[in-house]
Amino acid sequence: MMIEQNELLQQLSTQLGPEQILSTPEACANFRIGEQVPQLVVSPASQEELSYVMALAYAAQAKVVAWGAGTKQSWGNPPQQVDLVVRTDGLKRVLVYEPDDLTISVEAGMTLGELDDLLAKHGQMLPLDGPLPRRATIGGLLATFMDGPRRLGYGTARDLLIGISVVEATGRISKAGGMVVKNVSGFDMMKLYLGSLGTLAVIASANFKLIPRPRAAATVWCGFERSEQANAFVDAIHASQLLPVAVEYLSGAEQARGLKAVAVCAEGLPAAVERHVRDLPNLARASGVHSLEVLRDAEHTAFWAGVNDLPQTAQVADDEVVLRLICLPSEMGAALIACEELRDQLAALTIDARALNGVAYLRLRGEGEQLKRAYAQLTAALGQRAPSARLNALAGQARGQLPVWGRAPEGIDVMQRIKDEFDPQAILNPGRLADTLMR
Amino acid sequence: MNRAQVIEELRRIVGERGVVDQPDALMTYDADGCVMDIHAPHVVVLPTTTAQVAGVVKVAIRAGMPIVPRGAGTGLSGGATPMQGGIVISTSRMDKILEVDTRNNRVRVQPGVINFELSQYLKPYGYQFAPDPSSQRACTVGGNIANNSGGPHCLKYGVTASHVLGVQVVLPNGEVIWTGDGVSHMSGYDLTGVLTGSEGTIGLVTEAWLRLTRLPEQTRVVLALFPDIAGASATVSSVIASGLLPAALEMMDKLAIKAVNDMYKLGLPESAGAALLIEVDGVEDGLDEVLAEITEVCRSYGAIEVRPARTPAEQNQVWAARKNAFGAMGRLAPTYYLVDTVVPRTRLPHTLEEVGRISREYKLPIANVFHAGDGNLHPLILFNRRDASQNQRALEAGTAVMQVSIDQGGVISGEHGIGVEKQDFMTLLFSTEDLAAMAGLHQSFDPYDLFNPGKVFPKGRGCGELAALRAKGVEWSELKERGKLWL
Repeated sequence: MMIEQNELLQQLSTQLGPEQILSTPEACANFRIGEQVPQLVVSPASQEELSYVMALAYAAQAKVVAWGAGTKQSWGNPPQQVDLVVRTDGLKRVLVYEPDDLTISVEAGMTLGELDDLLAKHGQMLPLDGPLPRRATIGGLLATFMDGPRRLGYGTARDLLIGISVVEATGRISKAGGMVVKNVSGFDMMKLYLGSLGTLAVIASANFKLIPRPRAAATVWCGFERSEQANAFVDAIHASQLLPVAVEYLSGAEQARGLKAVAVCAEGLPAAVERHVRDLPNLARASGVHSLEVLRDAEHTAFWAGVNDLPQTAQVADDEVVLRLICLPSEMGAALIACEELRDQLAALTIDARALNGVAYLRLRGEGEQLKRAYAQLTAALGQRAPSARLNALAGQARGQLPVWGRAPEGIDVMQRIKDEFDPQAILNPGRLADTLMR
Repeated sequence: MNRAQVIEELRRIVGERGVVDQPDALMTYDADGCVMDIHAPHVVVLPTTTAQVAGVVKVAIRAGMPIVPRGAGTGLSGGATPMQGGIVISTSRMDKILEVDTRNNRVRVQPGVINFELSQYLKPYGYQFAPDPSSQRACTVGGNIANNSGGPHCLKYGVTASHVLGVQVVLPNGEVIWTGDGVSHMSGYDLTGVLTGSEGTIGLVTEAWLRLTRLPEQTRVVLALFPDIAGASATVSSVIASGLLPAALEMMDKLAIKAVNDMYKLGLPESAGAALLIEVDGVEDGLDEVLAEITEVCRSYGAIEVRPARTPAEQNQVWAARKNAFGAMGRLAPTYYLVDTVVPRTRLPHTLEEVGRISREYKLPIANVFHAGDGNLHPLILFNRRDASQNQRALEAGTAVMQVSIDQGGVISGEHGIGVEKQDFMTLLFSTEDLAAMAGLHQSFDPYDLFNPGKVFPKGRGCGELAALRAKGVEWSELKERGKLWL
């Protein structure tokens, strides 16, 4: 910081109440990221206050980290320096909601659960699943571009985010998009901020398109003895004209019941859901299914709530790392087999894969050396059998030795120019994207 | 470099037949589907490879000449019009479908592939490329990417941005990169996302991985006729809210019905004030129940006739009327000005009333053919281009439609883009800060304004100037002035 903590504190105090500012080391310690403990933690209560806080931080050249619930703060590299944590817990308002328009605008600090409660009253939903919905915020979901099981049927935030308002590094408020479901008025800035991990601006509010809640839903749970059988089932679903909204490969988790499970979720019209309940077991039997169950109502809901939380990064054991494996969907089967081969040498291994989307979340537990060896074996096996695969280390103490991002993408020069343009003093989450970007 | 040197260099890169420099030939590149502003390019090149495009861009950098990308030229906002001359890069010879990969739901194409031909090609595989703009028989996928095109079926399947997995792009510095290949959650920023819909101002797409969408098992279409727009609009809201998730929900008003009736002999009753076309698709189970339910909704809102179309032949006939409605306008007037705006869905009835008022006020007939399910209006202002007064009134009526749409909480373009046509209306929708952020993104790619200059951003507000505003921190005084909060 160019100016003293006291000076910044004093300036903040002229506009924010004492209950909005934490400045003692004990209070700030709860907002530790890696080795970094902020000096100040503030909770602006409006977009204007957020703008004010950011402008002050910019003038002070304080390094800023935006913080929703903190459930995904471990993602990416820990920032090199954190002076100020800006919380969004004071930004929870619904800004615009006209149910018949099937759109909504909400502030970034609203939790996924709060939003869903509101929408449920109107028979609507935002079909973006994220772990720990009672804690995780909209802003955090967007900044990390976290996905959920139902992305297969409804897409990701990329497809559902129709407008955004951000506060930039300087404190400027800018917006893009709108409250309509189709819009090419100006550049698609939503895509820029999505997944940028708070390195370009702080997300203040977001607009989404909504859909009516489905009239019917059911789960067809299929347990297999071997991964190869589960993969064959997934392939058969892909080849069919069925339209499940989620196809999740599960292993090592409670929801897998000691088998390699494939859980398929169907939602929509009752007759269409029943068609899935009727046809999927036939496909599963042809792939050698061991046991099969249809889940409905409360059982169905509870099952998916559990699956949804599997990739959470808020509570990670001391001997655990959480990895995300991304690859072309065609290589997911081979990648999953490579993952399963690690099981015997680890204390525990949980796999939750969005099998048809090429995304898997892995939880590995073991001693430091065990983890390192398993990681090395996995990368070697993936190199051979799933060359498109990359591993992102999302959370866990042991990941200090693991590459956070895996192989770098193309276009780094232009990404660096974007970062420099939007954050010329490198005060927003500096170093979070290191290995991909320089600052 | 003088013009002759530039042309000689370009010939060396793309070959003798790849360069167009005869003045009369250049005239055919002086506009796209938006004919309000025209300007001929200095030269047109027709490359066949990415390397050739990159070579041409490097010549342009040395010569300081703008690059203007062009697909089929069907755009309606002047995006492909070389407003400052320069080099037009036409993708018409980059028209190969390179690789179909159904296991990964993707297809790799060159940008000059025609949208409709791609979907025809994919049919035997059981897949489609979902975006289906009305110009799909002519427009290219490169143009679809540049404009983030829509179409009737984006109600269910989403706009082009949801169907582009990654692009190979030549950047304004001549660099060639791939922004993705279909692997989700790549690290770094979503360059694919920001390039899509950037109207050729920050990169030229030379190849793309597009998402394949499974063809539905079955489709059902209903054509419902209403005495007036109000009943049809209420039906739209009711169907959307019901959770039936139609694949398309299209509306035509009385004037449009008359035009397509004359042209396609549909035998629609002339008493109909509005026609609604509703399509549902998916697994076969339940579709007939949906059809019955929709029919019931239509009747409950006063439909005078409901025609279900079950067979592909019946469905094609209904769809042909909708997709060719713009062409049928020739029966009503020599020219039309198609305005593309979007409003929140509940504001449709009021906005349409306003469009009627605008028609009366400016004394020009306006037909409506539009994507009702999305709230995406397409008023067709009918006029005679040879009549200066009508010309002027058509432009003013178009502006009035945009203003009404913004007043109703909408935006100035749903799928046609800003280009030249709407650049000066951007300030109605966006603050200086909003535009400055967009300019910042633009500057990161194209600091010298080489690619498609003079588009999207308001005239007289250069990207450099807007971006410079951002670099300047917010002054204390300015903050205090802006909000009463701190006083």
